[in-house]
Amino acid sequence: MEFFKSIPTHIDYVGQAKAEKLYRAIITLFSIVGFVWGYIVQQFSQSVYILGAGFILAAVLTVPPWPMYRRNPLNWQNPRNTEEKPAGKKGKK
Amino acid sequence: MYSILTRGNAILTYTLSVLACLTFLCFLSTLTVDYRTAAQMNTVKVVVKNVPDYGASREKNDLGYLTFDLKTDLSSLFNWNVKQLFLYLTAEYITPSNELNQVVLWDKIILRGENALLDFKNMNIKYYFWDDGNGLKGHNNVTLTLSWNIIPNAGLLPNIPAIGQHSFKFPIEYTQTRV
Repeated sequence: MEFFKSIPTHIDYVGQAKAEKLYRAIITLFSIVGFVWGYIVQQFSQSVYILGAGFILAAVLTVPPWPMYRRNPLNWQNPRNTEEKPAGKKGKK
Repeated sequence: MYSILTRGNAILTYTLSVLACLTFLCFLSTLTVDYRTAAQMNTVKVVVKNVPDYGASREKNDLGYLTFDLKTDLSSLFNWNVKQLFLYLTAEYITPSNELNQVVLWDKIILRGENALLDFKNMNIKYYFWDDGNGLKGHNNVTLTLSWNIIPNAGLLPNIPAIGQHSFKFPIEYTQTRV
């Protein structure tokens, strides 16, 4: 159980933008290629299959939280020392 | 885009939108195609009988019967937006009671990839050629026309008449015997 919890599943904000650009580019490219190829061979099913291949490729590349979408972590502030806080407040009272 | 489900949803939605666009573009790419082509037809045997029409009034109506030849090449009509052709042969004629009679005598489905080079000899009609009275006997101008209904992947379902038709006459005497 600890092993599964240790697998990182999040992607950061830059990674989200990257993933969105990537899947749009892949699917659009495959649709254009599929349309042209389908027109050449006069088979619309070929266009659909090529678009389906683009869908699978885009899904493999962008759906799982790959490490490449995790390269820009947010710089959180370090947690303050919680021991001192209550003491300080008490002092102000 | 922050979780696996939202990313999967976004990709699937985008793919389906793109597919809809492709289908529409496919329709646009065949919008200006001219689907007319020539067909030669001819009648071989033409008879007319006077028999009770039990399907309608039970009165004796004219029943035409004919065999025909048909020759046409429809392979040029198929493109990536045509799934099948529905061919139908229509007889058109004028009678005193009706300004226009149209009777479908025969039809055929040609799927994409099937042989579209048709050369039929002495074909029987598939459907009864009933007149709704006695308008067929001795009629001297019945016109056979071939038309096709195009069934596309996406877009319109046009009915296209073939270029070329054939006019024939019915005999002036009823045939009594079985044909």
